[in-house]
Amino acid sequence: MGRYVVRRLLQMIPVFVGATLLIFLMVNVMGDPVAGLCGERQCDPATAARLKRDLGLDKPVWQQYLTYMGKVFTGDFGTAFNGQPVTELMATAFPVTVRLTIVAILFEVVVGIALGVLTGLRRGRPVDTGVLLATLVVISVPTFVTGLLLQLLLGVAWGWIRPSVSPAAAFGELIVPGLVLASVSLAYVTRLTRTSLAENRRSDYVRTAIAKGLPPHRVITRHLLRNSLIPVVTFIGADIGALMGGAIVTERIFNIHGVGYQLYQGIVRQNTQTVVGFVTVLVLVFLIANLLVDLLYAVLDPRIRYA
Amino acid sequence: MLLEVRDLHVEFRTRDGVARAVNGVSCQVAAGETLAVLGESGSGKSVTAQAVLGILDMPPGRITAGEVFFRGRDLLKLKEDERRRVRGAELAMIFQDALSALNPVLSVGDQLGEMFVVHRGMSKRDARARAVELMERVRIPGAAQRVRDYPHQFSGGMRQRIMIAMALALEPALVIADEPTTALDVTVQAQVMDLLAELQRAYTMGLVLITHDLGVVADVADRIAVMYAGRIVESAPVHALYKAPAHPYTRGLLDSIPRLDRKGRELYAIKGLPPNLMRIPSGCAFHPRCPMARDVCRTDEPPLHAVDEDRGSACHFWRECLDG
Repeated sequence: MGRYVVRRLLQMIPVFVGATLLIFLMVNVMGDPVAGLCGERQCDPATAARLKRDLGLDKPVWQQYLTYMGKVFTGDFGTAFNGQPVTELMATAFPVTVRLTIVAILFEVVVGIALGVLTGLRRGRPVDTGVLLATLVVISVPTFVTGLLLQLLLGVAWGWIRPSVSPAAAFGELIVPGLVLASVSLAYVTRLTRTSLAENRRSDYVRTAIAKGLPPHRVITRHLLRNSLIPVVTFIGADIGALMGGAIVTERIFNIHGVGYQLYQGIVRQNTQTVVGFVTVLVLVFLIANLLVDLLYAVLDPRIRYA
Repeated sequence: MLLEVRDLHVEFRTRDGVARAVNGVSCQVAAGETLAVLGESGSGKSVTAQAVLGILDMPPGRITAGEVFFRGRDLLKLKEDERRRVRGAELAMIFQDALSALNPVLSVGDQLGEMFVVHRGMSKRDARARAVELMERVRIPGAAQRVRDYPHQFSGGMRQRIMIAMALALEPALVIADEPTTALDVTVQAQVMDLLAELQRAYTMGLVLITHDLGVVADVADRIAVMYAGRIVESAPVHALYKAPAHPYTRGLLDSIPRLDRKGRELYAIKGLPPNLMRIPSGCAFHPRCPMARDVCRTDEPPLHAVDEDRGSACHFWRECLDG
């Protein structure tokens, strides 16, 4: 197990370097890193050259990348154009997005699994067909449509929620945005749970559990669910990284000042340091979340051994 | 009588039609007795067992008629919760493939101990101690350490011992073993069979041994019931049946056992295939494959004729068959 973790951590290095190099090249080579510094106007050539020299942008790209990475490992992600350190932006943005992600994951776990169990045990009944149809709708409608629709109905038309989230972004305000962010994954969790449950329900060990004279609730929770939820848990685990980085649309709709919002602003304003910095951290989150999921898999299923 | 099944009918409703899996099975098992149920796949052996135990998948399965008396009560008339209490505690089952029949993500100790926790209300700790005792009873080496292991960490024979231990945990009055040795190596088969026979004697429990292996049956069974197309076609004490079968199907089964004194000669095989349960032949279901079939066999379904006081044959010509 220990050796497996070490190997996986070592494997992360090339993935991390590759991903950050890619985003670094895209922003610095394909875009113009100083274009955003002069605001709306075009920079005059003399100023642009001076800025580039000051920022070290006249040096070869590989050297720029190494310098940047060196600084990242000392905790310096550079400064945004308004002079604010990128780490400061992260310190305000990440807690907001983490809260939003927690709300979304809770929806996936509680609602997604509950619906999956309900439909999995009532296969072919009206409730099953109904939920299945609903998940299909949720999956096929893009998030921005669901998001805007809920904002319009709940926020504007009926006034149940505030259409725009305050900068504090407390948990209470994040319920509807969290639901929107979770919606597609939630539908997948429902379907995955349903299929997995229906499949395992016919398995020999469930028949054994019934033959042992166990009460139905024990057969379902201890024998059927315990086995059926293994793929679901791994799906949800892997989804954490996707939700944190994928909240751009949701955060835009509800004006949540989290990671997605900062990334969007960074891209629109060609704010190089912000974009590269945030993406770097997201890559790390993704990698660690995936490692944890793989380790969790071995805990849930004793047949899996890592060496 | 410990178990008495009367005129049991089970059918499966599928998209293609109704499969009549069990068509009027009647049989009895006394305390301490071993009944071997013999037949090809699809003859209704396992379905009968599942219906008796109450673990039939319903739907698509359906018990259309019959009674199952166990210790004087008709199990089919009990409420599900009452029936559940009988299951596992008084009436247990051993399945064929222990690897798939045991839960892969729970330790064997948990799965054995569960019987005591659920049926006897024991604490987890006491149940664990009983699990170790059980594992020692079925002679699993190093039981105290292995109680924490998972099913996949055991060999096939050891897994089947755990399966047996689980069925015998609460000392049931009757155990149904559905092909308990089919999935095992030949060398292990004998050990497991011996263990099962030994434990049966120790607990004086009834045993229904479902099998298609005639070799296994001869040593351990008291009586044999031969099934074909969902009916019992011959029922007899084991020695009488081996000496002189009273049904051509039984004769065919016996003749298809390889024997040393017929070495070098072609092995007999019953011609044709088992019937499709959606289109069971008219009259005697065996007539298309029967070497003795005559016109009456195609039209009239033979009742179970009394060959002897404890022997029956569902063949119009049982006398001729018995004479060989």
